[in-house]
Amino acid sequence: MFWRMVKGALFRQKGKMLMIAFTIALGASLATAMLNVMLDVGDKVNQELKTYGANINVVPKEASLLGDLYGVEEGSGVSDKYLKESELGNIKTIFWAFNIVDFAPYLETRVSLNSQSDSIELVGTWFKHHLSLPTGESLDTGMKNMKSWWEVSGDWLSDEDESQVMIGSLVAGRNNIKIGDTIAIHSKNQTKKLVVKGIFNSGSDEDNQIYVPLKVAQELIGRQGLVSRVEVSALTTPDNELSRKAAQNPKSLSIKEWETWYCTAYVSSISYQIEEVMTDSVAKPIRQVAESEGAILEKTQLLMLLITILSLIGSALGISNLVTASVMERSSEIGLLKAVGAHDSLISLLILTEILITGIVGGIAGYFAGLGFAQIIGQSVFGSAIEIKPLVIPLVAVLVLLVTIAGSLPSIRLLLSLRPAEVLHGR
Amino acid sequence: MKKQAMYFKMVTSSLIRRRSRMLVALLAVAIGATILSGLITIYYDIPRQMGKEFRSYGANLIFVPSGDQSTLSASTIKKATGFFPSNNIVGIAPYRYETVKLNEQPFMAAGTDLKEVKKVSPYWYITGQWPANNGAVLIGKEVADLIHLSPGDTFTATGTNGAGEKFSHDFTVSGLVQTGGAEEAFIFMSLPDLEGIMGDSDQVDVVECSIAASEAALGGMVKQIGENVPEITPRLVKRVTQSEQTVLGKLQALVYLVTVIVLLLTMICVSTTMMAVVTERRKEIGLKKALGAANKSIIMEFLGEGLFLGGSGGVLGVILGFLFAQVVSQNVFSRSISFQPLLIPITLVVSICITGLACLIPVRRATDIEPAIVLRGE
Repeated sequence: MFWRMVKGALFRQKGKMLMIAFTIALGASLATAMLNVMLDVGDKVNQELKTYGANINVVPKEASLLGDLYGVEEGSGVSDKYLKESELGNIKTIFWAFNIVDFAPYLETRVSLNSQSDSIELVGTWFKHHLSLPTGESLDTGMKNMKSWWEVSGDWLSDEDESQVMIGSLVAGRNNIKIGDTIAIHSKNQTKKLVVKGIFNSGSDEDNQIYVPLKVAQELIGRQGLVSRVEVSALTTPDNELSRKAAQNPKSLSIKEWETWYCTAYVSSISYQIEEVMTDSVAKPIRQVAESEGAILEKTQLLMLLITILSLIGSALGISNLVTASVMERSSEIGLLKAVGAHDSLISLLILTEILITGIVGGIAGYFAGLGFAQIIGQSVFGSAIEIKPLVIPLVAVLVLLVTIAGSLPSIRLLLSLRPAEVLHGR
Repeated sequence: MKKQAMYFKMVTSSLIRRRSRMLVALLAVAIGATILSGLITIYYDIPRQMGKEFRSYGANLIFVPSGDQSTLSASTIKKATGFFPSNNIVGIAPYRYETVKLNEQPFMAAGTDLKEVKKVSPYWYITGQWPANNGAVLIGKEVADLIHLSPGDTFTATGTNGAGEKFSHDFTVSGLVQTGGAEEAFIFMSLPDLEGIMGDSDQVDVVECSIAASEAALGGMVKQIGENVPEITPRLVKRVTQSEQTVLGKLQALVYLVTVIVLLLTMICVSTTMMAVVTERRKEIGLKKALGAANKSIIMEFLGEGLFLGGSGGVLGVILGFLFAQVVSQNVFSRSISFQPLLIPITLVVSICITGLACLIPVRRATDIEPAIVLRGE
């Protein structure tokens, strides 16, 4: 009998129940979309912040930046001041391999251009290098992805273009070089003639440099299989107390702290793991990038959290509003039920069951609609799909349940206090 | 006059008599308006607020001497910085580089305004203290490792000054600098200190500026300075400006989309609530019609109620929305938000239109029905 009454109410008041279900669906879809976007926004913004370039710099042990300033490195040529090209793939095999977005090796040397007396810096690198890992995976990595702000007229070099170069805008301007020109490069041991494929404007010191594929640079200075530094771009977690302590000296941590630190994607722990897989290397976090990323990520997440809370409160109030309004309408029906002798508890149960069934139907429909909204946001803002988090399902379910019950309780209390005779009379 | 008074009485009494129901509707409208004004305020303030956060990436504009000149003088720098809007300047740090010798090894010493450096490069990780008095310096981590110095130690710098005479000067290490970049191989001291040992002044090699502005605005400033101060070549630090533009653009687009979706949903919520409130008054409409009221006057009455609800809900929404935006801004950015006066009329108009429309649809349907049928309850 109870279920027949519920069924009857649901079908007889189809329009009204549909409206409640629709509102609940709207609220649930909003909650689903916002929660999914909020939980994923960290990763997405982190990915965007990668346009700031590398956040870890790997250099050989003992090598000092003083060489850059005075050119004293020239001629010293000790092989232990280099990293091995063959070990580069190892970077993608560390514990946080998944967080390594891109990396590019560099081999720098000074050469003279077109038999001028002033020397100029030549850099060999990977532009977009296909790398097969010992694990069987393969990836494309290199400088092209990491220098997204470069303005290149002409074309980017590819790693197979061994007879071509890319030159900085300042070099090109000083020497009046245009795309398609042939330039002669003299190192100590040999001379190479190369065709200019592209001229780039980076807005920094790189505009004074010449870029060639790594192999060409290695041949020029006779350092086969060696690189002088590696830039790594990694997704990292913002620093906290623990990571700062670890950055100063990882050995000062207790075993438990050390495990937590090692298994969290702090920039310091990723650097540490890179040092483990590259012989005689020092991996230094570039604080300018690492620190700022943390700050901006935190702000964005907090911002999204607050907006989510606002929209959740908004949809919760909206739903309970409508539920209250629609339950109150049924005063004459309740009055009749009371007049024929129904208990208060039975009436409350009846109304609650109806509303909950409607709420569940609306909630399920809303959840899927919300997934759609989240994908629309992901695709149009970040150009990639938003990851669907299972955590959202119980959150939305609890929200819908709480809101529908909270919305119907005050009106039920009001209805129960009514006198059947008055209600039926129509007052 | 009498007709108007009657109309007014009908509208107000219907609002007062059905207090709880009307409060429900008012609440719905107010929530919608709050979300509208709150989110739009945040949307407009994001570039300004986030732009300030992005300044933690360091300088986005540098001055270098143009042409044959090798240094910049203080007066030209002052002239050039005059082109920046003073509210947007985060920090301007001049640098002068000279070679000094420590233990007979050459090192680069940079003379600068350390207070400004702290603002321009907030990412510097200092072990120890920022120098407070003359003779105190910051040294790069690499320099410290090489000659085994730690905060509190003193060292002697030697070298030849601008006039070709030998100098020898004692400094105290106040802190170590870690950046992961080239800065770790430098010694940083205040500009007067460096000028003191070099024996000349008014020579700066490069000026780092951190300006809170979009890439386009910065481009405009670069052009202006280039034209008006020929001694200086201003250059944008592309890596910073361009990336900031991309990330800020995405963030704003995100909030924009979220605002649109939330708005759509709240609009639907408001109109469903209003529809529910009006639909239950079909009996009343029937009665009025039976008493001889014209459709038009019934519609006018409901419209009056809708306008009142929309207006008061809108006013509430403007206030609550601004408070919400303020709370968000205080919590996220620890700064207060700027109020957009234009939002008051927009929020009011939108909420009045929505409630009005949401009332009209069910009222129209109700007025089409024969009074007898409605009154009988079918």
